[in-house]
Amino acid sequence: MGTLWRRACTAALAATTLVATATACGGGSEESSGSTTLRMIVNITPNLTEQYWKGLFAKYEQSHPGVKVNLELTGTISATAKLTQDLAAGDPPDVAQQITPTKDNATLFADLTGEAWTAETPLADQYAIDGKRYLVGVGSQIQSLVFYNKAAFAKAGLDATGIKTLDQFQDAMAKLKAAGYTPLQTAGQWVPGAQFSLLADSGVMTEDPDWILKRKDNQVTFAGSGYVKYFERYKGWIDQGYLDKSSLGVTYADGQTAFLDGKSAMYIMGSFFVPAADAAKKSDEIGVFTMPSDGAHPTGQVGNIANSYVVVNQSKHKAAAIDLVKWLVTDPAAIESQLAADGNLRKGFTYKMSSLGTEVQKILDAAPSLIVRSGPRQPIDGYSGELNTQVQSLFTGATAAKVAESLDKWWNSQR
Amino acid sequence: MTQRTRPAPQPAGPRRGEARARRLARYREGAVTFALVAPSVALYTVMTVVPVGVAIYISLTDWNGFSEAMFVGLDNYWHLFDDPNSTSAWYVTAIVAVTGTVLMIGGGLAYALLLKERSRTNSFFRTLAYYPHVISALILGYLWAAILGTNGAINSTLKQFGIGPVGFLFEENLALITLIGVIVWAGFGFNVVLFVAALQTVPAELLEAAAIDGATKRQINLRVVIPMIAPVVTVATVLNLIGLIRTYDLVVSLTGGGPAGATQTYSFVILARSFEGTKVGYATAQAVFLMVVSAVLALLVTAMRNRQDRAATS
Repeated sequence: MGTLWRRACTAALAATTLVATATACGGGSEESSGSTTLRMIVNITPNLTEQYWKGLFAKYEQSHPGVKVNLELTGTISATAKLTQDLAAGDPPDVAQQITPTKDNATLFADLTGEAWTAETPLADQYAIDGKRYLVGVGSQIQSLVFYNKAAFAKAGLDATGIKTLDQFQDAMAKLKAAGYTPLQTAGQWVPGAQFSLLADSGVMTEDPDWILKRKDNQVTFAGSGYVKYFERYKGWIDQGYLDKSSLGVTYADGQTAFLDGKSAMYIMGSFFVPAADAAKKSDEIGVFTMPSDGAHPTGQVGNIANSYVVVNQSKHKAAAIDLVKWLVTDPAAIESQLAADGNLRKGFTYKMSSLGTEVQKILDAAPSLIVRSGPRQPIDGYSGELNTQVQSLFTGATAAKVAESLDKWWNSQR
Repeated sequence: MTQRTRPAPQPAGPRRGEARARRLARYREGAVTFALVAPSVALYTVMTVVPVGVAIYISLTDWNGFSEAMFVGLDNYWHLFDDPNSTSAWYVTAIVAVTGTVLMIGGGLAYALLLKERSRTNSFFRTLAYYPHVISALILGYLWAAILGTNGAINSTLKQFGIGPVGFLFEENLALITLIGVIVWAGFGFNVVLFVAALQTVPAELLEAAAIDGATKRQINLRVVIPMIAPVVTVATVLNLIGLIRTYDLVVSLTGGGPAGATQTYSFVILARSFEGTKVGYATAQAVFLMVVSAVLALLVTAMRNRQDRAATS
């Protein structure tokens, strides 16, 4: 019995030690020999690759000895979901890219209003919450753009400058189809919803900038607003073969490649498409025009802050984290690198732009307004995912009226 | 006059000593049992009981993962029944779980019966069947997406002959069939291993006796072999069913829930829609509901099996 007792005690002690060690190893962040390690959530995109981020932070580490920046990749989830996970696990990062604070979660982030340099950053006040700046960005993106294949337009006898209304846009698609091209490139994943949003929002929100506020107050509905017209148009384009149904089985990257390879004639996308065209050395073969609409022309440009950063309030190295963010949004070399990498724009900063980039800049200069969907004008959580599902259902047989009705039903069911 | 007789004095010392020794032995035995069980109980409590308790608590709040959580009672649970995403996802999940389980059990059993004899060829085919199971489902999804996508290997080949593209991933019904097909392909090897191991425990004399009684191979398999391995089939059914109810990673990498939400399973909706939408309280209520449904299904299948066993032995 004595031996058994001793063995049992030893086993229990060993198991307890193992659990305790595992628990101890799992928590906390270590500081090694006086250096500070900052953890940062970043989104990886075709433009902002892991390699790009590492290169950017290597420059920061060189000029700031004793500070190391560790990337935290989001994997298959969004930056917000990654941060939520990290917070729930009690292991928050120091800085996060591409997270837009809302009124509900603003206290989670450091209030940067007192930092004088934030006043000079793009769209700082548009993204402020109750006058407080939690988010700072490097530049801005514009999204109401239609890129086109110059060779396809030449073959179809089209002049891009003449496309201002949706009817003209539709006529152009008919001619492009007749010329042997897929008129409008789309893809699966998040692309159909995003493209529809770029198409419709510039029209609907130029006409009524408060549309989202009104939808939140149930003063307007999708089924009873200008969106129905866009759903009908989009459905008609699918039925007429202007949008290829099989594109839903293509990834975002492959869809983009198909357009770059000249298989399709037009591609609705944001200014962040420009670096992809530059990298493929196709910028001179591609043109761009502002989104057509049935209302005013040119429409306002739907835009947003680009390469935005927040400092997490629970950061153990808040001062160092703020310093890193300051460098990212104020250091001229860091700004130009980030602007160029993602095709973004910022007043007072230039970088060597391709012909396509210059055309995009001209569209921004001519736009009557920049429509920013932030703060109270931000749609409710989950909207972009639901919109994407509903727009995809237009490809699989749903009617425009059904889609608008489903979108209202979903919106009303959200609490 | 009666003479009072005193009871003869007992030898108190040794008896008390024995009783104390027995008590001590019992105490030690209890302490040993406790010491042996304590780590497992502690681990189970920390890893399962506490998280489930916390999940149930969170499911009763409106927590968004960031701000202060407000107690909302059963609101999140009522919302499960009027949320269009939840209801359509249950429909998809039920199809995936039931069809997938039937095919994985049926296919696994048929494959195992074919390969039950020991030989090098059979070992090779068993390994071949099990191989997909050791690869991450996420990778398998990307792999099959590259094969079955619009520009994938199959459609590119078909295009050479002027056929297609076939809507493996862009037509609603076909995308669901594709998802189930890949799930079955990836998972049935696990059942094969279970069934082959179970088949090898069936006594040879029983099979001989059946053969001597004139039973055909088909009759031997249906009437002798399968009933003998029924407990393993039950376990495999429960494991497959619960596993498929939680299907997530293959959906992410193969179809992304599309087209038009046709392959959005319940777990996908929890993680990709509710959690991404920072509705942590609601997502947790969905997860708790999923856990309850899984438990009820597992109990139902086991109870049905037990009932059949009792009926067979009575």
